[in-house]
Amino acid sequence: MFINSVILLLQEILEAALLISVLLVITNLFHDIWGRSFVLRKTWIFYALILGCAGAWLYALVTPTVSEWFDYVGQEVVNSLIHLVSLGFLILLSWVAPSNYFSDKTSQRAQLVIASMVVIVLLALVREGSEILLYLGGVTSQSENVVPVLSGAVIGAGIGLSCGVILYYGLTSLSHTWAFRVCLLLLAFVCGNIASQIVMLLTQADWLPYTAIAWDTAGLLPENSITGRLLYALIGYEATPSILQAVCYGLAMLIIIFGPLFRLAWPGILAKNVEQ
Amino acid sequence: MKNYIATILMSLSLLFVSSLASAAAVEIELVIKDHLFFPAEVEVPAGQKVKLRIINQDPTPEEFESYELNREKVIAGNRQTVIFIGPLSPGEYPFFGEFYPKTAQGKVIAK
Repeated sequence: MFINSVILLLQEILEAALLISVLLVITNLFHDIWGRSFVLRKTWIFYALILGCAGAWLYALVTPTVSEWFDYVGQEVVNSLIHLVSLGFLILLSWVAPSNYFSDKTSQRAQLVIASMVVIVLLALVREGSEILLYLGGVTSQSENVVPVLSGAVIGAGIGLSCGVILYYGLTSLSHTWAFRVCLLLLAFVCGNIASQIVMLLTQADWLPYTAIAWDTAGLLPENSITGRLLYALIGYEATPSILQAVCYGLAMLIIIFGPLFRLAWPGILAKNVEQ
Repeated sequence: MKNYIATILMSLSLLFVSSLASAAAVEIELVIKDHLFFPAEVEVPAGQKVKLRIINQDPTPEEFESYELNREKVIAGNRQTVIFIGPLSPGEYPFFGEFYPKTAQGKVIAK
């Protein structure tokens, strides 16, 4: 029970922690891009954490009921809706926030950025947190499990949070240009991962058609290996994605890569590619 | 560019409609009791979509997970749920309960 609890918590916390780190680093970088007048307090993260934890608790409470909606596929439908909204706000952040419309409306730009970030983190916490709460609530109902499960949970959560902190300081130690570039690349992977998750969930619910497996790298890098799990948390690695999953992953990445925020981070990258 | 997007959207919506019109899937039942799957080996027809109805008779939640089937879903205690799998090519597809992986193990065998 102990090891299982460590792994489960680590996986769930890691995904949210990495996203939060990247968004916090981007918050720092926005100051450098839009100047001192662009005031973006990092306190947004506290609102997001409080709302996210409350949301996770509420969602865990209603999960048994939600699951029975739409002939027992309610969980997939609601989860993919949550994913869809996060994807929408990530696209808003990378397409609308940098637009020239806000060039003389700095405070509105800041409000838009903060609102997007709060929603993105809040929804990530609802998704991951509710699963953690369901697990802990169920497993600890047997008294002999309480100590091993909770100590495992603390250690797993601790490792996950540490990885987030290491990523945050790792990114801030880079030059501004490179920190921004790596963040935007990671954000593109996050969007691809979300899009692929939506497809997986709706296929599982039979709301989207089955498509054949695009490739099989299970022999090369199994999903249940440590590297596989890390890559799953980081970029949504799957050993056997379906064709529709792979296509949507790619499309979502392209939406970010062709967005104005990505071009701010990698000026000239697209032009250079054309020259080659 | 616009034409491409329109074509992609149209083919996606066609796929969606065709999936709604597809024939009903074979339904197979799987029970979770005392953190074990019954039956632990589920035989399904290969090449056909299967509606897996999972009935959790334990008071605790469980998470059905399978890397090979590409499926993952939490099932609350004393509740049931539905997961669509396949069409599968013949072979074995292990699954497990992520909350109690020591005991909750099983596999889908597509024939």
